[in-house]
Amino acid sequence: MVDQTVNPKFDEADGCDRTASLYPSISQWMIPSAVAAQEKVAIAATAPPEQYPVAAYLHIPFCRRRCFYCDFPISVVGDRARGETSGSIAQYVAALRREVWMTPSLGRSLQTVFFGGGTPSLLSVEQVDALLTTLDQQFGIAADAEISMEMDPGTFDQSHIRGYVAAGVNRISLGVQAFQADSLQACGRTHTPADIPVAVDLIRQAGLENFSLDLISGLPHLTLDRWQDSLERAIALAPAHLSIYDLTVEPGTTFAQRYEPGEAPLPADDATAEMYRLAQQVLTHSGFQHYEISNYARPGFQCGHNRVYWENRPYYGFGMGAASYVNHQRFSRPRTRREYFTWLETLEAAGGSLDCPPTLPKERLLDTLMLGLRLADGLNLDILTAEFGEAAIAPLLPRLQTHIERGWVEAAPPRIRLTDPEGFLFSNVVLSDLFETLS
Amino acid sequence: MTDVPVSNIRNFSIIAHIDHGKSTLADRLLQTTGTVSNREMKEQFLDNMELERERGITIKLQAARMNYRGEDGQDYVLNLIDTPGHVDFSYEVSRSLAACEGALLVVDASQGVEAQTLANVYLALEHNLEIIPVLNKIDLPGAEPDRVKGEIEEIIGLDCSGAILASAKEGIGIHEILESIVHLVPPPQDTVQEPLRALIFDSYYDPYRGVIVYFRVMDGTLKKGDRVRLMASHKEYQIDELGILSPNQIQIEALHAGEVGYLAAAIKSVEDARVGDTITLAAAPAKAPLPGYTEAKPMVFCGLFPTDADDFEDLREALEKLRLNDAALQYEPETSSAMGFGFRCGFLGLLHMEIVQERLEREYDLDLITTAPSVIYKVRLLDGDEIYIDNPSNLPDPQKREAIEEPYVQVDMITPEEFVGPLMELSQSRRGVFKDMKYLTQGRTTLTYELPLAEVVTDFFDQMKSRSRGYASMEYHLIGYRENPLVKLDILINGDPVDPLATIVHRDKAYYVGKALVEKLKELIPRHQFKIPLQASIGSRVVASEHIPALRKDVLAKCYGGDISRKKKLLQKQAKGKKRLKAIGTVDVPQEAFMAVLKLQ
Repeated sequence: MVDQTVNPKFDEADGCDRTASLYPSISQWMIPSAVAAQEKVAIAATAPPEQYPVAAYLHIPFCRRRCFYCDFPISVVGDRARGETSGSIAQYVAALRREVWMTPSLGRSLQTVFFGGGTPSLLSVEQVDALLTTLDQQFGIAADAEISMEMDPGTFDQSHIRGYVAAGVNRISLGVQAFQADSLQACGRTHTPADIPVAVDLIRQAGLENFSLDLISGLPHLTLDRWQDSLERAIALAPAHLSIYDLTVEPGTTFAQRYEPGEAPLPADDATAEMYRLAQQVLTHSGFQHYEISNYARPGFQCGHNRVYWENRPYYGFGMGAASYVNHQRFSRPRTRREYFTWLETLEAAGGSLDCPPTLPKERLLDTLMLGLRLADGLNLDILTAEFGEAAIAPLLPRLQTHIERGWVEAAPPRIRLTDPEGFLFSNVVLSDLFETLS
Repeated sequence: MTDVPVSNIRNFSIIAHIDHGKSTLADRLLQTTGTVSNREMKEQFLDNMELERERGITIKLQAARMNYRGEDGQDYVLNLIDTPGHVDFSYEVSRSLAACEGALLVVDASQGVEAQTLANVYLALEHNLEIIPVLNKIDLPGAEPDRVKGEIEEIIGLDCSGAILASAKEGIGIHEILESIVHLVPPPQDTVQEPLRALIFDSYYDPYRGVIVYFRVMDGTLKKGDRVRLMASHKEYQIDELGILSPNQIQIEALHAGEVGYLAAAIKSVEDARVGDTITLAAAPAKAPLPGYTEAKPMVFCGLFPTDADDFEDLREALEKLRLNDAALQYEPETSSAMGFGFRCGFLGLLHMEIVQERLEREYDLDLITTAPSVIYKVRLLDGDEIYIDNPSNLPDPQKREAIEEPYVQVDMITPEEFVGPLMELSQSRRGVFKDMKYLTQGRTTLTYELPLAEVVTDFFDQMKSRSRGYASMEYHLIGYRENPLVKLDILINGDPVDPLATIVHRDKAYYVGKALVEKLKELIPRHQFKIPLQASIGSRVVASEHIPALRKDVLAKCYGGDISRKKKLLQKQAKGKKRLKAIGTVDVPQEAFMAVLKLQ
């Protein structure tokens, strides 16, 4: 599936002599390196094979501009830059591939790959291809793997999308965010409402039906009526999947400077809560499953990669600001390119091993609860008991009693789940109670 | 230890404002006299500083005996007796001073005299102590020894022509200080032949040896094995251990008039060997105790309730243990409809209260709800009775009262003159009565007000500091009770009166306080799934109201790219907040809310 003819050499992107000597030699990257083989033994001694990652996240930080609500680790490159022409994008992709090469393979091939951003659709086809080839050579990519890519309307043309698909991309997540010009503008988005159907058409013409649309509720000037309109327009584009995020005003963002959550021009809290309920109602009636707090899918089209997170399973992460969870080590990479490049050198000097303490079982349980209860499936207490012990799990159900009574939690032991939409809407109340019980 | 003639003993203390270098000077004296080695000194010095910084109070050295050979070739014993550095403990300070014949007055040469120093100097003068002025930190670029000398002369009326210029940090002036102590501080009176009287100036509880008592022998002689009587507590003990402090405890067979030492006698609680009590021999008791002993009188009260009702017994045990070491702490069980079972506790002052709370939480691992501090009100009833109320919720109905009186204090503040305006404004807004203002020296003014104690125990000190950008200092002492038109202000959450939030306020301020309180509570109480009305009322009359809107949602939109750490921290913070919640009816109220009255602007 991955085009093997593209030569996975690093020289194309090497704009930095200082680090040239740190690149692995040909022999190291053509066959699994000796270091990696040793690491494999070391890791195998502490984690069972089912704990080996089968998911990989690649962070592509480049954006034309920073959206006003965004606090992700990104690099703004302006309206003209693309992977084909930008030296800094090329340099970053090279670094990303070095990181992949330095990461010990554990012998299971990848079931999911996710290009997140940033705006991955700013990458050239060759860059996407090279990254996938690198992953394939280092870990192997399963033939039926889900390979997702985030794309923004207006950042790609027909040749790009066809090239990505040819390179192996088989799922697209399109950053629509809103269908109204003033809302898009208020967010500092670069695209217009007209770009949205064009982007969807390009995806379809490339032969992809498995695509998702991202929408944000709670944006400035949004009303319940306009939200209903957005939902209907989204449904009309017939996506396989929808992500509906309620706006969070993160500290340090332009939004945080401009707006007070819950106050105009942002919709009030009860309005956004209604938007959440409305989305649930409209989308489930249109045949979407509300399978996670913020995600809807047609049967068979859930995002496998994101399910890895929610099920608290391990995953690789590559690139600046990317998080990985391998061998119980949860690690977040530096959030600027400069720091990331420096860190990469130390990673190489350390032969690919991360200096990071493993997550203790107590913390793992908190993670499992916080992530697992995001899913409509909920959690199985018997399975939790087997992993974390009776003493930790037994107090959870009694603590949930009041939430069960008020209809936020559904318990059919051993299974517990948050109800949709009320339990989801108040999930933090439930989770913080469970956290308190466990602290 | 050789027996030292009384004429060669010098007992002194150091009076200094916080940060003016008392600990450093004490350490330097110990070092110069060879009492403590340089290596030991380093450790001790560092520990002291860290703790001091953290709490802003002087950690007590208690006492240290130093051997010093003077320039005259004679061997002297110098006893340094430390004093606590906070107004809450002024009684303890006075007892320490009573054990001395002299005092070093240490003033930062760049800062000048502070209110707290002044209060302690007056105490020292009352005890006829010889006071040696020392200008410390003379090496710093901002040092103005002449200005500060002038200030000391003007404010205290102390001749500063012989003031010692010193830098404890750099070791400047230490020799002069030691010589001045020898020559200026008078020796104790030689009363070795008289019946034993020893003054307790400090004590602490040791779980293995019982209470360790620090004392100064004023008259007579005390030997190991003696049976002693404590004249105030009327208890008798056999002395198991007798010794001196250098500053570590070193056992010794006997101590005579003028000497300072410690004893252990299987005393079960510091309450039985209170600071200020007189030790005498059971077999040959003195006729009268030493003057100056008083019972500890708590001035500030608050309710302490365990967050978890199951911890009530643990709280009782912890208070019992603290009291072994803190005779000034008082407590009695209190039941509140809102809070369940807890204790009403009395403290010497706000700092004392904070220290006790912190020790209960840190050392005994208790989660507590603390109610806002209150003072003791005197209530005259129509039937002629007079009762004292330390808990606003116990105030009798207006129909039964004739009048309420509240304690007043005199507050002395020293401030650069540019802050006089803001401090007067502060004092006026706290119902202060202006008494006096004096320009001491260039840029320094004393300001004296009479204020209701209730207004001082809220955030007066913090406000004084912030309105003077940290430059002003203050001291206060009780001056009696005064009648005022006071009313009880009730707070209702979701319609239920919450007695720990009830306060007694001046009628004219009730509306303002009520409004500010419900607004503060609106900020502090988390949203619930229902709308919560908040009301402030006097009797049945609502003077202010607010409401907390219902919680509509509480959900994290996404955990992007698998990076869950920040979202998890949010949930952990939320969970931690819940630990401190107390259910009042169906409303969960956080601990801070019960202190809300302190945080009103």
